[in-house]
Amino acid sequence: MKKIILLLLSLALLAGCQAAPAPETPQDKQAVTVVLPTAAEPEAGFDPILGWGAGEHVHEPLIQSTLTVTNPDLTIGYDLATGMETSPDAMTWTVKIRDGVRFTDGKPLTAADVAFTYNAARDASSVTDLTMLGRAEAVDDTTVAFHLKKPFSVWPYTMATVGIVPEGSYDPAAYGSSPVGSGRYILRQWDRGQQVILEANPDYYGETPRMERVVILFMEEDAAFLAVQAGQADLAYTSAPYSDQRVDGFSLLSVQTVDNRGINLPLNGFTADPLVRHAISLGLDRQTMIGHVLNGYGTPAYSVSDGLPWTRTGEVPDAPEAAANALLDEAGWLPGADGIREKWSFGRAELTIHYPAGDSLRQGLAAELASQLGELGIQASPNGVDWDTIYGEAYRTPTIWGWGAHTPMDMYSIYHSGNVYGYSSGAVDAWMDEALACTDLETSYVLWQRAQEEIARDVPWVWLVNVDHLYWVRGGLHVAEQKIHPHGHGWSIVNNVDAWEWAM
Amino acid sequence: MKNRRKSTLLLLILAALLLCTVVLSGAALARQAVETDFTRKNLAPCVPFLFGTDWMGRDMLARTLAGLSLSIRVGALTACVSAAIALALGTASAALGGWVDSLVSWLIDLVMGIPHILLILLVSLACGRGLWGVTAGVALTHWPSLARLVRAEVLQLRQAPWLQAARRLGTPPERLARNHLLPHLLPQLLTGLILQFPHAILHEASVTFLGFGLPPDQPAIGVILEESMGYLAAGRWWLALLPGLSLAAAVLLFALIGERLRLLLSPATAQE
Repeated sequence: MKKIILLLLSLALLAGCQAAPAPETPQDKQAVTVVLPTAAEPEAGFDPILGWGAGEHVHEPLIQSTLTVTNPDLTIGYDLATGMETSPDAMTWTVKIRDGVRFTDGKPLTAADVAFTYNAARDASSVTDLTMLGRAEAVDDTTVAFHLKKPFSVWPYTMATVGIVPEGSYDPAAYGSSPVGSGRYILRQWDRGQQVILEANPDYYGETPRMERVVILFMEEDAAFLAVQAGQADLAYTSAPYSDQRVDGFSLLSVQTVDNRGINLPLNGFTADPLVRHAISLGLDRQTMIGHVLNGYGTPAYSVSDGLPWTRTGEVPDAPEAAANALLDEAGWLPGADGIREKWSFGRAELTIHYPAGDSLRQGLAAELASQLGELGIQASPNGVDWDTIYGEAYRTPTIWGWGAHTPMDMYSIYHSGNVYGYSSGAVDAWMDEALACTDLETSYVLWQRAQEEIARDVPWVWLVNVDHLYWVRGGLHVAEQKIHPHGHGWSIVNNVDAWEWAM
Repeated sequence: MKNRRKSTLLLLILAALLLCTVVLSGAALARQAVETDFTRKNLAPCVPFLFGTDWMGRDMLARTLAGLSLSIRVGALTACVSAAIALALGTASAALGGWVDSLVSWLIDLVMGIPHILLILLVSLACGRGLWGVTAGVALTHWPSLARLVRAEVLQLRQAPWLQAARRLGTPPERLARNHLLPHLLPQLLTGLILQFPHAILHEASVTFLGFGLPPDQPAIGVILEESMGYLAAGRWWLALLPGLSLAAAVLLFALIGERLRLLLSPATAQE
């Protein structure tokens, strides 16, 4: 009996140790199966009025059309819009839209639908920030006017996130699960907690999607990896801890992002002195941080919006660590007996670094940051806490944050007076307010950069890394060129799934 | 017969020594347990990292020992607190009778009627999670079975002829309790207390694993197991297996100690 059990166990082990069969290329050359994180499944459904496509993890709504789109270089292009202009006081935006566009229920899409969508989204107060919108008004069938409460030059970026819904048939209770749009795809099926099936919209006004059928599966990261190994997915998200794995028939795609991580440096306590904040920013070896924590899949971050048109490129000194030590010496923080710097009347150079408990990436970054700060003579203690504690103590405790959106409003949120981090600068406020008040986007980019020059003098934040988004991609699948991904490892990858194709 | 008693005692001492070693070494390794070194990350078990390293290069042996040490200390504290509650309520219930007995019996039924893990989660959450949250959660949910045992024992002892005789001879109640009741109650209580340990340890680990217990930056076994789940599919088996086995071993040791102690102390088996 014992021998039989041993034999069975051995067979089971052998079967378990066998390599998974190499996945086959799918038969259907116009279909693709993509695995996204479970958190990417929209709780409120696919309703732009309730935030689908917008918010922190912004992406193209696919099912609905938007007035504008962001180009690969993050400048503004057109989707439904054919032209737009702003009034001299920057308080009204007038947008001309395409004629002849129809929703998938056959009804024509007019300016009245656009006005309805924006007014409803403003009233819903979801993650789409429309607090600056007074009202949207249909001037005629193909012209819509947006009357703003205050000048808002980055309005075209807001227009890139709001999908248009049909006024006549919109039902807030049902729309999220059975949306009607005019975008590239139709929602064919949604099995909550499992998958979404999208099919190409045959009446789409733009270029016909090459992928006729897109299946989106929602899985945890380890399950996504197993799905790839079993050949059940064509593309699946992954992250640095899995990047050293190998799967037959799949390659690892790394997409550049502005999905950054950085820490706020409070203007009190040890980091009250600007010299100290400069020293911390200078003294960090971001490339080593990327190697250690991200397995090399990332880029050094020097601002909240690296690589975007409104961003000033940071300057890296030749000998950063020496410069950082010199600054700390100059600030009066001198090495003590145990190597930790001290300053008379202030005590020891000590910091607590908060990170959200359970976020292993930020935990790793906090550990590496503490280690690098230790080399500068600063004793840092990482501490995983909940979000309530993080927000409550952000004004006095450095915290590892994640930012990076396709709009300059990220900058406004964290640097303009009134933020939760306690930073305030009249000069920075003035540049950003002027940027929002101007009537031309190109000009506003320069003004945002001016604000960044002021911010660089104060260093209220230190940016660490931009985290590359990683995906397992089946051999033969050509993923179209990606624009720089924003914060959130979710739907961004399928922004242009209509342009993906299989090798013949 | 003598040999069996000796071997039981020897085993008991060995198990207790082993657990003490774990507690002390875990406490001594607290710093190493959180020390990160990315240059040695994801190492499979090897020399000098017998339990391997995790994705931040932390020594898993140090983390496991520190986690077990923490679990055992939490287990000891919660077992003592719940034993004290059980002793107080069980004795009061049996000695005072009447509405006190009804109230305590009702409380016992109430606490035993709610699934342990759910109640621990609620108490831990209400107490702000963390070390004190989980300690309060485990301590406040593990007393009923022991309280029931104490109550039954006291009821039985009250009828004992030697106690009746002492009472008739005018022995004051405090002396009755101290000299006549407690010595007979202690073996049962001690065994019950020791047998609470594995329960308490497992529940602390479970609650922490579910994210309602100790904070993630503490090297607790629940945290270690929870963290390891994300890396199993990447083939890093040592992150879960070795700490998991260590936890099981610690729990079994406590169960063994409790069982052996019961055999030694119980009048029915002590002379075998």
